[in-house]
Amino acid sequence: MMNPIKNMEINPLQASSSLGAAMFFLGINNAVVLMHGAVGCASFDKVTLTKHFRENIPIVTTALNEYGAILGGTDFLTSGIKNIYEKMKPDFIGIASSGLTETSGEDIACIIRDFKEKQDLPFSKIIYAGTPDYKGSLEDGYMKAMLALLEDFSGKETYKTFKKSKKLTKSINVFCPVSFTPQDFLELREAVGYFDLKPVMIPDLGLSLDGHLDERGYLQTTADGLGIKDMENIHNSEFNIVIGLSLGNAVKSISELTGLATYYFPNVCGLKNSDKLFNLLSELSGKEIPEKYKRQRRQLMDAYLDTHFYFLGKDIALALGIDLLDSFSMIYSEMGANLKIGISTKFSDDIKYRFLNFCEGDLDLLDNYRNVDLIVSNSNAGFYAKDFRIPLLRAGFPLIDEIGHGYKHYILYRGAVNLAVESANLLNKG
Amino acid sequence: MHITAKEEYFDEPACEHNGVAKDKKACKTATPGSSTGGCALDGAYIVLSPIKDALNIVHAPINCLGNSYNQRTSETTQRENYYMYGFTTAINENDLIFGSEDKLRQGVIYVFNRFKPKAVFIYNTCVPALTGEDIEGVSKELAAKLKIPVVPVFSQGFSGNKNLGNKIAGDALFTHIIGRKEPEIDLLSDYNINLIGEYNIRGELFLIKKALKQAGINVLSTITGDSTIEEIMYSHKAGLNVVVCSKALIYLARKMKEKYGLPYIEGSFFGLTSTNKAIMDIVNSIGDYELTCSAKKYIKIRTRNTEENIYEYKRFLTGKKALLYTGGVKSWSLVSALNDLGMKVIATGVKKSTEEDKLRIKEIDGNGNIIMLDNGNPVNLIKIAREEQVDIILAGGRNQYTAIKSLIPFLDVNQERFNPYTSYEGMEFLAKQIYFEIKNPLFKLLKESNINL
Ligand code: SF4
Repeated sequence: MMNPIKNMEINPLQASSSLGAAMFFLGINNAVVLMHGAVGCASFDKVTLTKHFRENIPIVTTALNEYGAILGGTDFLTSGIKNIYEKMKPDFIGIASSGLTETSGEDIACIIRDFKEKQDLPFSKIIYAGTPDYKGSLEDGYMKAMLALLEDFSGKETYKTFKKSKKLTKSINVFCPVSFTPQDFLELREAVGYFDLKPVMIPDLGLSLDGHLDERGYLQTTADGLGIKDMENIHNSEFNIVIGLSLGNAVKSISELTGLATYYFPNVCGLKNSDKLFNLLSELSGKEIPEKYKRQRRQLMDAYLDTHFYFLGKDIALALGIDLLDSFSMIYSEMGANLKIGISTKFSDDIKYRFLNFCEGDLDLLDNYRNVDLIVSNSNAGFYAKDFRIPLLRAGFPLIDEIGHGYKHYILYRGAVNLAVESANLLNKG
Repeated sequence: MHITAKEEYFDEPACEHNGVAKDKKACKTATPGSSTGGCALDGAYIVLSPIKDALNIVHAPINCLGNSYNQRTSETTQRENYYMYGFTTAINENDLIFGSEDKLRQGVIYVFNRFKPKAVFIYNTCVPALTGEDIEGVSKELAAKLKIPVVPVFSQGFSGNKNLGNKIAGDALFTHIIGRKEPEIDLLSDYNINLIGEYNIRGELFLIKKALKQAGINVLSTITGDSTIEEIMYSHKAGLNVVVCSKALIYLARKMKEKYGLPYIEGSFFGLTSTNKAIMDIVNSIGDYELTCSAKKYIKIRTRNTEENIYEYKRFLTGKKALLYTGGVKSWSLVSALNDLGMKVIATGVKKSTEEDKLRIKEIDGNGNIIMLDNGNPVNLIKIAREEQVDIILAGGRNQYTAIKSLIPFLDVNQERFNPYTSYEGMEFLAKQIYFEIKNPLFKLLKESNINL
């Protein structure tokens, strides 16, 4: 007899909040991520992120041992920071904590504050995000790091004394979700640029992890990304755009911390939501929507028509983080695809209606859907797809068994074309 | 409670690190603010997870398993591979307050009912170790109830590094699995050995087994590539333990020697010379005249054959310079493999090597002035590679981007290797890969297009 109580994650879909924070920090220029915990956490994260992005990932650890775990990790943390500074000279150190360091109940924020006051290290920023691994998701950790960064740059003199400069190019702040691929970042940056607005992407994994051979060769820190200078200027921007279902809870704080008007999009995928974004940009910039995107809009309409036949009577199972689940189900819904099951790490009433079934859980839930025609999930679902002989559209995190995902994008008109076409082809083969 | 690792793990008479380190715990120190290898959990999981009919349950918050499972490249002959699954109790805040032993208990019973494994390994990790969960008690209780070995593995990461984890896993096998069964009679031929520390990355075990079989040697049990719980249970009945490529599991071999009188030797199957030597060491230990003759004959044929197959590559590679940065036994066994190809090894990483490993490097090193790299930080690696104008860097995936971003040819010889590099066939793969990598015109093209490098 089957035991009714599962109480076990079998092939988890979720990743930890500390990894989320690390991913945020990696979108900052000349940065190093310091994981405060025992050696394993940083090592596992580094390996997975390296395989996912196919780039060098500057993550180091405070290397807590058993004495540190029991008696307190202050010395490990401070000597970690010092060593990083001496060896790598970064502009920015992002610190993410772990289950271990948060369980022992240390006031890490306080330790860092003390340290900063006493030491005279000539680099500008150390930001700490409290990310106990037993609490919150990848998305939560990412959001925590985002808010920690904003808090650090807000409420200080910079904010109060800052006068709006009369620059020719107006800048805007764009807050993007953890689900964005490097190419998503780049596409959005380009689109905003067409409206004569300078986007400050927070963070900018498009610049840091897009996979470019830097002219300086191998670097110990991130090779590009959101610059500290840009961060200092965020209050000078015209307005904020916040994207991502998972960042919904951060909108209020972002608006308060920056003191700017804030426009929120759960996603910028598919026809309708892309329309909304382009209309907003046009309205706020006073510029007409560029010809390029008008054309892409028509192309998307045509692609929907061309591909929708492939979806008729087919069932799709999606197992993705909440942002991508929202984004993809948005596009699929527009083209009338049948979404048999949506699995995510978190429940969301906002998007539940798009699915026949919606649940919170692990990839093993796919085991109950052996008859679908397409699975959309990350590499870890490869095992199920192979076993059930169902095609797998790989998306999300981690993607380690295929190369090139950093070049793909699924946002705006063209992104929807990509998803429609890739899915249709897989359905056709399957 | 097992918060601190056993003293015994750090006192390894068979491990040369003992003599070097004043502080016995030197093996496990890491500098804060550097990037390090994995923790004890990582090391233990590497050793135990290839067993194909056992389940591995990581008792931890989501990070320990959730951020990184399903990445090993061990292979098995079985289709239903449990090791492809990642199981974790995903301890959350509530569990932390109310205790997670019940959750663990229910979870194990669930997966037992569903997958019917032959054994379950439960890994303890930092958070439950710190809060003092009694996973030993839970394991005992479950073992009695489910009538299979339920083995607690005290691999909390703060206790130490990957190496320590290897030992802890070896200890778990020794205490709970080995010696629990007798082999069927027909499994007993005269020349039975165990391979310890071979995980069948990219099917390397299959190649080793093939060579051994043809030389007349039977592998009774592998610890643990492509293995079953049963074969490990009766592994004490072999005639010889061969520790392949893992200093850490010498611990296990020594324990088996003490308890079962089973002798052990070390061997490596990287490269022609090493493979030949390993086979000869095995037959010499067995000491059977006929076996020795047939093995000698086999080696002769295979060596000639392999040399013919790599002739063209070797011609090109002779005199080319390599920088090697990898761990432990590979620090010398790959030197020998590269020498087999006529290559000159400029430097080799010895951070994880023992004094004995270092001695062997010196023995093998033809030019006598190989650099022993203690400091594997990327900047240092590139500096040496540039100064010495090496033609290729061979290292683990960690250093892939260090090398290629500096426009230096690179080959992964650790976990992420694309091909098996052991035994005779492995030598051919290795020769071929290095040949094509060094010959690749891409590096020249990019150097010309990037004036700053
Ligand atoms: S160091 Fe501890 S918390 Fe981190 S992965 Fe290893 S066992 Fe888990």
